[in-house]
Amino acid sequence: MSYHGLSLPSSGPLVPQQRPPLQPPPVQQLTPPATEGAKTPAAPPTLEQQHITAVDGIVPTLQNIVATVNLDCRLDLKTIALHARNAEYNPKRFAAVIMRIREPKTTALIFASGKMVVTGAKSEDDSRLASRKYARIVQKLGFDTRFVDFKIQNIVGSCDVKFPIRLEGLAYSHGQFSSYEPELFPGLIYRMLKPKVVLLIFVSGKIVLTGAKVREEIYTAFNTIYTVLQEFKKP
Amino acid sequence: MSYRIEPKYYEFYRSASIGRALMDSLDELIQDGLITPQLAFKVLMQFDRATTETLNRHVKFKTSLKGHLSTYRLCDDVWTFFVKNPSFKIEGGELVTADKVKIIAVKSEQATAAEAKTKPNQG
Repeated sequence: MSYHGLSLPSSGPLVPQQRPPLQPPPVQQLTPPATEGAKTPAAPPTLEQQHITAVDGIVPTLQNIVATVNLDCRLDLKTIALHARNAEYNPKRFAAVIMRIREPKTTALIFASGKMVVTGAKSEDDSRLASRKYARIVQKLGFDTRFVDFKIQNIVGSCDVKFPIRLEGLAYSHGQFSSYEPELFPGLIYRMLKPKVVLLIFVSGKIVLTGAKVREEIYTAFNTIYTVLQEFKKP
Repeated sequence: MSYRIEPKYYEFYRSASIGRALMDSLDELIQDGLITPQLAFKVLMQFDRATTETLNRHVKFKTSLKGHLSTYRLCDDVWTFFVKNPSFKIEGGELVTADKVKIIAVKSEQATAAEAKTKPNQG
């Protein structure tokens, strides 16, 4: 069988790329777009493999990951609140059960529709593990739960560049992306377009990065802003 | 058609030792035919009222609690806490410890009244 001149490795027929079972759907793929015929990714690539190197030894730390998942089953929230541990249900205030677990330390909002929001995880794996734990807790209470459409919705990271920053200068020369209203909020809000990440930049040199769907966006955004920030180092 | 009158006071002090003693005595009196069950019921209602009000208005004793909150729950406006290794610091310096303690917290009269007041505005 010929591949019409395409130079493919001879490692067998063209099969759809296999993913390990715990990997998120394709949009979620953390790995850079794999070239045709590439081997199935085993472990998540390291920073170096992704050509993301720490600048001046600074790598943003992930602080929070928000994920959603559908348990695909109508839920009676009162039953859950009465029988699960560490659950709060006050329908007058909020139409979901708020549940917490200690490992990974996270909080879940569980809705009657079967949809669930899990917040507080520090890594993608923890977020998924926590979501599975919540699904299991609900399942043990007698609901026929499944685990579909798990998706990481937001990743928040933070770091410290360890030098003070002239926010006015940055706001002036990057006016298109910046919003700096010290009377409203002491930080500069920088809406980066590529990657689509929002950064809060403070005079102190502390940075918060949010709005990313994959952790690489946090790293890329930081590396991009770091070169800019060096221009606006306070003398 | 019968109307059930909502009890105005919580009944949980009935399961305290003083409440249990009262219920035992009332049961005995009913069995001996000395009082009617209706009267016993009235006495219990009075007991609910008296304990709630006395604890609320006349007991000014304060105590602080420290421990590890192992489990909590909020459902139907009732908080339940399971605290491991609690230590109660009682006014005057006395320290009381235990392996675990279960705390049930319900809405106070004031909170219920406050909520009723705010409700029409939410409309």
